[in-house]
Amino acid sequence: MHNSDRFKIPLGPQHPALKEPEGFSIALMGEKIMGLDIRLGYNHRGIEKACEERNYLQALYLVERVCGICSHAHATCFIQAVEEIAGVQLPRRAQYIRTLIAELERIHSHLLWLGVAGHEIGFDTLLMYTWRDREIVMDLLALVTGNRVNYGMNTIGGVRRDISPEDIAEILKGVDILEERTKYYIEVATQETSIIQRLSGVGVLTKEEVLRLDAVGPTGRASGVSRDVRRDDPYAAYGEIKFNVITDDHCDVYGRTVVRVKELMESYSIIRQCLKNLPEGPLTVKVPRKIPAGEAISRYEAPRGEDVHYVKSNGGEKPERVKIRAPTLANIQAVKQMLKDRYLADMPIVVAAIDPCFSCTDRVISIAEPKKDNRVISWETLRNYGIDWYTAHGIDFTELNNKFRKKLERV
Amino acid sequence: MSQEENITQSLVSQFGFLEGNIRITRPRRIFLETSLENFPKVFAHAVKELKFNHLCTITGFDELDKLAFMYHLAQESGVLLNLKTSVSKDNPTINTVMPLFPGAEIYERELVDLFGAKVNGLPLGNRYPLTDDWPKDQYPLRKDWKPSQLDEKEGHTHA
Amino acid sequence: MAGTLFSILIFPGLLFLCIAGLIFEYVDRKAYARLQNRVGPPWFQPFADFIKLLGKENLMPCAANPTMFNLAPLFAFASVVTVFLYIPLWQTKSSFSFDGDIIMILYLLTIPTLAFFIGGWYSTSLFARLGSVRAVTQLFAYEVPLFMSILASALLADSWSLQKIAVYYAQHPAYCLFNSVGFAITLITLLGKLEKAPFDIPEAETEIVAGPFTEYSGKLLALLRLTIDIEMVAGAALVVAVFFPFALMFSPVVGFIVFLIEVLVVVLLLSLLRTIIARLRIDQMIDFCWKWLVPLALFQLLLNLILKGALS
Repeated sequence: MHNSDRFKIPLGPQHPALKEPEGFSIALMGEKIMGLDIRLGYNHRGIEKACEERNYLQALYLVERVCGICSHAHATCFIQAVEEIAGVQLPRRAQYIRTLIAELERIHSHLLWLGVAGHEIGFDTLLMYTWRDREIVMDLLALVTGNRVNYGMNTIGGVRRDISPEDIAEILKGVDILEERTKYYIEVATQETSIIQRLSGVGVLTKEEVLRLDAVGPTGRASGVSRDVRRDDPYAAYGEIKFNVITDDHCDVYGRTVVRVKELMESYSIIRQCLKNLPEGPLTVKVPRKIPAGEAISRYEAPRGEDVHYVKSNGGEKPERVKIRAPTLANIQAVKQMLKDRYLADMPIVVAAIDPCFSCTDRVISIAEPKKDNRVISWETLRNYGIDWYTAHGIDFTELNNKFRKKLERV
Repeated sequence: MSQEENITQSLVSQFGFLEGNIRITRPRRIFLETSLENFPKVFAHAVKELKFNHLCTITGFDELDKLAFMYHLAQESGVLLNLKTSVSKDNPTINTVMPLFPGAEIYERELVDLFGAKVNGLPLGNRYPLTDDWPKDQYPLRKDWKPSQLDEKEGHTHA
Repeated sequence: MAGTLFSILIFPGLLFLCIAGLIFEYVDRKAYARLQNRVGPPWFQPFADFIKLLGKENLMPCAANPTMFNLAPLFAFASVVTVFLYIPLWQTKSSFSFDGDIIMILYLLTIPTLAFFIGGWYSTSLFARLGSVRAVTQLFAYEVPLFMSILASALLADSWSLQKIAVYYAQHPAYCLFNSVGFAITLITLLGKLEKAPFDIPEAETEIVAGPFTEYSGKLLALLRLTIDIEMVAGAALVVAVFFPFALMFSPVVGFIVFLIEVLVVVLLLSLLRTIIARLRIDQMIDFCWKWLVPLALFQLLLNLILKGALS
């Protein structure tokens, strides 16, 4: 380290800039990035394998937990594939409700991103403002679905909850407020000098590079690649709704910001159309008890880009194969390109600009079981596992535990 | 004639052996299977001539004595071409598609880690997604793999 | 002797400064929070943080140089506390004063940054080292316009003694207006000195964790944080003394209150600035200082030179 003119900085697996564990190792010369090494996989949880061990309905709830932010995206994408195999035609009302939740989720995700972007460039005020407003859409989601995240709205052949006229009124009210606020953010993002200074010209990814590296979602659209599954391969109710695919030709982080804030405006319009044209009718259709053999691939435009789920059924209780490709996996490979010859200070915002979601990315495997053939770990086992681990590493909590126990007994 | 049929026609006229191996399951979805030696031709043709210029992902399958791989290619129009090929488990070697899709690197690494495929032409780099100390010859997405195998191999000491 | 000791240790020295520092930290944090639409901390939060940190274990990396690691915060602390003794608070006399003390004050205010550099460098952590280098790089950018704008004010008052400068402006309050450019520059560069947004580059959390302070914990961290708080008060007090020392126009008690209000205004201005601007990159920061602030400071110097001729 002393002799070389290059610093090697580890960003992650644990680092304040990353909200999830992922390893970036950066070779630095002064402030300049000379090389970048990405190590993914820290969040690998074995979801694809686990899906093969569960029936379709159980798998649906598992898949919903691939990611906390775009949970509806994964659940819908998965269930669309299953429904296609089963040959089910969804009731229109269910399609509209799915679309509605999808757009509410997009709003929540984009507002979250805007705040995180602000934080990454040291502009916490933006973070505080956007996250305050994000509460409005979180409340709406809680109102409609009962949950702030992991909505659990989908079921095979429809949706689980209806929306009442009162809900519709509430949503419209919330959307009006959000639209006002978003106009303000568009103004801030496009006019505030220090933000523009930090964002423009940073993390450049040309149109050719987007096509070459298969970048998806706002990352691609900000480089002028008009690619949006909602329009190209319509699902749910998107075929019946008018909206614009936002593109921008700045090709940098600034462009990605502009695309996202403008997409917010589109989402408001989509929600209004959904609510205005909400068809009457049942929420679910009857689905054959057994999913027939077959395969289907489903695409979905998640807030971060194209989400792909492939499901193969062998006619049994459980899916034969489930494959999940989250948008971040497609985009993470572009990060190396974006960081070429940039400064260390650009690193957090460039990584953040693809709106990475490493939980999504890493889905699959590694079940470390303290005891064999003991799938469900009881609280006691987990606790003992922790104690053993620390004792093995020379940290003994026995005394503290005893003290604690005594205290508990007294109470 | 629909665009899916157009694509099918074009493929069959170019490659006679594909006749009967192409299925259109619904609008915008084409599934097709080909042997390993014919795969590069068909793949290159689809990408270059038919403008399937977006690789969504690669799905691996464990089919008893074979490993199968499905390449999901998308067109601007929204049509998805799902190209499947398979290889014997004894020597599961395939060629990389990185010359056409540099972004495929991570998908292929996944096949290496989770299915034990060997990919010719894949550059050196970090493995993904498994840990560096993952035991050799254990491929979690193969059907015969059980989490308990991991414990046996590691002897699980918790430390 | 007893009087000297009293002024060093109790008022306006150590004890007063520690309390003032923590109170103004609260003001800064609360204002920052309110401007961001948050509730903000209760009034005792800085005290609670300080006491909590004092009770924590001191950890040091094995590879660190213990002498440098432990001494750096002390140096920083001592220098900022000393600064305050030279600032005229509410009477025409500061606790200590001599001709040329303003130069010394400016140098004393530089010591914390250098101490942070040494502490960060010798803690051997990558993040700390990178932060240290950034802190010093930044120092060379903001120090020049800061010195120039303060010296411009001294030039007009025709004295190198802070006390005499203050007296001069107290006698001619209207002249303060001439220094408004210098005041703005000082305020901005003070943000750099205090390492607050947009110049919090050395401790940019999302890039290099906590910069020079990454490896500090426990009592030393408490001391470092207190140092920065006192630096803020001392910096604000310096701005008040140089640019609008109106406290000297009143009786001691009223004057002291006026002084505190003025310091409060400066602190609030600092909070406002850091609320509304995003963190710059180090190259942008240096560009900004040399391309904008230095020419403006030169302009201020020139203006004061001309004014001095015209007024005498």
